[in-house]
Amino acid sequence: RLEASGSHRSRPSSVLCVMHLEYKDIRNTVGNIPVEWYKDFPHIGYNLDGKKIYKPIRNKDELDDFLDKMENPEYWRTVHDKQTGSDIVLSDDQVELVNRLQRGQFGDVNFNEYEPMVEFFSSDVMIHPITNRPADKRSFIPSLTEKEKVSKLVHAIKMGWLKPRRVEDDGRGRYYDLWASEDSSILARHRMHLPAPKIPLPGHHESYNPPPEYLFTDEENCIQTHPPLWEQQDPGDRKLPFVPRKYSSLRQVPAFSHFIHERFERCLDLYLCPRQRKMRVNVNPEDLIPQLPKPKDLQPFPTTQSLVYRGHSGLVRSISVSPSGQWLASGSDDGSVRFWEVCSSRCMKMVQVGGAVKSVAWNPNPSVCLLAVVILSSERLLSAQQEGEEPAEGNGSVVWSEAEGEELNQGVRLKIQHPKAVHQVVWHAKGDYLASVMPDNTSHLQVYIHQLSRRRSQNPFSRNKGLVQCVSFHPIRPYFFVATQRSIRIYNLVKQEMTKKLQANSKWISSMAVHPGGDHVICGSYDCKLSWFDLDLSTKPYKMLRHHKKAVRGVAYHRLYPLFASASDDGSVIVCHGTVYNDLLQNPLIVPVKVLRGHVMTHDLGVLDVTFHPTQPWVFSSGADATIRLFT
Amino acid sequence: MSQIQARFFTEDKRYVVDDVPFSIPAASEVQELSNVINKLLEAKNASHSKVEFDFLVRGQFLRTSLSAHMETESILTEEVVEIEYVERITAPEPEECMMHDDWISSADADAEWILTGSYDKTARIWSTEGKPVMTVPGHTDVVKDVAWVKREGLTSLLLTASLDQTVLLWEWNSERNKVEARHCCRGHAGSVDTISVDPTGTKVRLERARQKLKRQQRTPLMTLSGHSEAVSSVLWCDSEEVCSASWDHTIRIWDVDTGGMKTTLTGSKVFNCISYSPLCRRLASGSTDRHIRLWDPRTKDGSLVLLSLTSHTGWVTAVKWAPSHEHQLVSGSLDNLIKLWDTRSCKAPLYDLAAHEDKVFCVDWTESGLMLSGGADNKLYTYRYSAQQAEA
Repeated sequence: RLEASGSHRSRPSSVLCVMHLEYKDIRNTVGNIPVEWYKDFPHIGYNLDGKKIYKPIRNKDELDDFLDKMENPEYWRTVHDKQTGSDIVLSDDQVELVNRLQRGQFGDVNFNEYEPMVEFFSSDVMIHPITNRPADKRSFIPSLTEKEKVSKLVHAIKMGWLKPRRVEDDGRGRYYDLWASEDSSILARHRMHLPAPKIPLPGHHESYNPPPEYLFTDEENCIQTHPPLWEQQDPGDRKLPFVPRKYSSLRQVPAFSHFIHERFERCLDLYLCPRQRKMRVNVNPEDLIPQLPKPKDLQPFPTTQSLVYRGHSGLVRSISVSPSGQWLASGSDDGSVRFWEVCSSRCMKMVQVGGAVKSVAWNPNPSVCLLAVVILSSERLLSAQQEGEEPAEGNGSVVWSEAEGEELNQGVRLKIQHPKAVHQVVWHAKGDYLASVMPDNTSHLQVYIHQLSRRRSQNPFSRNKGLVQCVSFHPIRPYFFVATQRSIRIYNLVKQEMTKKLQANSKWISSMAVHPGGDHVICGSYDCKLSWFDLDLSTKPYKMLRHHKKAVRGVAYHRLYPLFASASDDGSVIVCHGTVYNDLLQNPLIVPVKVLRGHVMTHDLGVLDVTFHPTQPWVFSSGADATIRLFT
Repeated sequence: MSQIQARFFTEDKRYVVDDVPFSIPAASEVQELSNVINKLLEAKNASHSKVEFDFLVRGQFLRTSLSAHMETESILTEEVVEIEYVERITAPEPEECMMHDDWISSADADAEWILTGSYDKTARIWSTEGKPVMTVPGHTDVVKDVAWVKREGLTSLLLTASLDQTVLLWEWNSERNKVEARHCCRGHAGSVDTISVDPTGTKVRLERARQKLKRQQRTPLMTLSGHSEAVSSVLWCDSEEVCSASWDHTIRIWDVDTGGMKTTLTGSKVFNCISYSPLCRRLASGSTDRHIRLWDPRTKDGSLVLLSLTSHTGWVTAVKWAPSHEHQLVSGSLDNLIKLWDTRSCKAPLYDLAAHEDKVFCVDWTESGLMLSGGADNKLYTYRYSAQQAEA
């Protein structure tokens, strides 16, 4: 029951009740409806008895309201009750209550919100439990429901409906192995990282009051020039990125105008500037040199001059050793062919042939003792001990004729006349065929192949392919090598067609030799180069040797030892070791082993021809000084 | 100045000194040691005349000072050193010079006569004083080798071999000074380069430039083939064995009775010439790499070079052992020099004889103290050397 004097009940939970002091409890019973519905009516609602609650007679309008605000001293504690439509003046206690509530405190002043807590559950361990209910058996034994669930899961796993989760083997624990080999790209990136260089610490130049030597001198500033020198220079050329200035006190130092620019540049440097370690290739120059065996491991080869065969009076153009190795034949520009005994350098026989001798070639057939001699514009067959020469001269086609009379006594057996000047004659390995070369740019009749047993000659080529320099037969197979000025053509004599064309990178080929195995060819040229061709490898030279200083005049292979030699106009013979391997995988090993000197240069010509002894590692060379030298 | 204890001994009975150790300065040279021996001998024998001596320590000739020699040979200096001394061999002196018409290819010397073969297709007989006695023509090509077969009083048989593939047997009557051809041995397919007569004088071994050796007594008895290249030199070791050296880098020893090959000694270079000494049973070979090598033909296992004598600068074309001295041999070479070697002093020859002006092709000894050499300068030189008494 509400009391009229405005006291409020003190209850633990404070409830605000609107107290009515003088009036009857006319609580409006219309409920929570907007007041505007009774706007037009004189009453504002109904009280508990059902009687209308009439609005006060006069409504306050704004003017009244304003006057009230100004004059009524209790305006501030007057509250308009919307439900009854009347103004209620709050008492002090009510005002106090409102204030307390607005401050967020409890409405009841007597209420102490900081009363000590009554601990229902104290931290003291009591001897008596909260409940004395005896424990169930199921709290001691394994859970039956769980067992059911687990058995169901196990059954499902066994049937394969469920896949058990894979347990990771964490036995060793997870840790990072510092020393395991990482991905090389990651490591490489770590190594490649180049941090930006630290900016230098400020020194005396940056000081606001530097000693005078740190300031720019007049000449550095270049007062005369406008703008000053420091500004004219490129930012990259400047020694300092700023101009050192002197101030008398710290507070006079202005703001650094370039500060932001500098920091920006530094930031760019740090995160934007790409830096990469430059991998410089550290090449040991000794690694580039190929590992060739030492010459003394490649013995035997000719090393010193042993014998000199003197007797000729003109330059000796060509030499040839008999297949037995006992005799040496030489032809010279003084019109004589001489036969020498190899071991004593004795000239056993000399035959005057009446013309400069261009080429001599001993028949390789050991049972026949025959020498082919090319006399300028003629070719004769000489038989050694009785030599047969093949002279070649005259016009028209090739003519064979027997020698008679004086020439027969000299040893000449056969004469073959050629239409033009012959430059070279070469025998086939069996000793029956021989080929002669008449170089002529215009005609196709440059090479003739003669057959000795039938006294026949033929010209195998029908077209002119260039000036023929020299020819050679293949030692084993029926191939024919023709060297023109820039290339070597290999013809198959059985099939009568060209099989290969070797391109030497030389301007003018002078001489050619075929390896006794038949798969390699060397050719020397007038531009000081010697090319080794591997016929199985390619048509380009396998190796080009530039050992000589002047034109290479002659090249030769040894029949048994892995040696080859080249003779040149600089007066030296260079002997090289050239091993050819039986397996087709390895390239030939070429090692130059010896430079043999001994010939004297005469009229700018040096050594003109070189040939090896057939069985011993000896080399013969003939030169423009009219001597033949044996090097062993 | 340190001293070394040395004891001297000799094989030579004439110059024996007391067998007591002497204390001699370590740095003594050969001359000083020679003076010491001479003084000792004079003390013993008042009529002793000064003789030059040569000294050997452990079989090696003393060429430097004693201490240096012992250091190189690693001989301990604390013990007593045995030094052998022999009479020094004086340098051979050129005596005669016999001019030929052409290069001399070979020479064979007997006790009184010298037989030479020359490139002018003849062989000549000379007396040891240098007088030409006889010319033996008849070959159609260069005479490469000559040899005496037999000497019976006034008549003698000699052989000449030539490049015309024949060997001619001549009989020479020294009294009447006539020579006639007895027999012509044909059968070689190539030039005959060397011949050698066996010690008993009945059989001859020929050698050809093409690999085969023939034993002949008028007609070929046997052909021994086995060399793959030209045979450059052949000789009889004794009446049962023949030794041949060839350009295929081997020396082969053949058994005459069976015709089979007994041993092969393999070298690395072409052999030009060989010589055998029954005194020391060693084979000396000269080859194209300028060395002279000594071999023992009894070794079964191939190539054991006992000693290598190097001094020539050209091919060694001729070697010959001394007939009476077991350590001496002479060699001729294409560098125009003749060298006299003692095998006990292996580093350098005893003497170099530079009489020739061109290549030397042949050397020989006589029993009576002469050395011969002939070469491409058409000359045959004789040298007198001091006759050494054969060591017992």
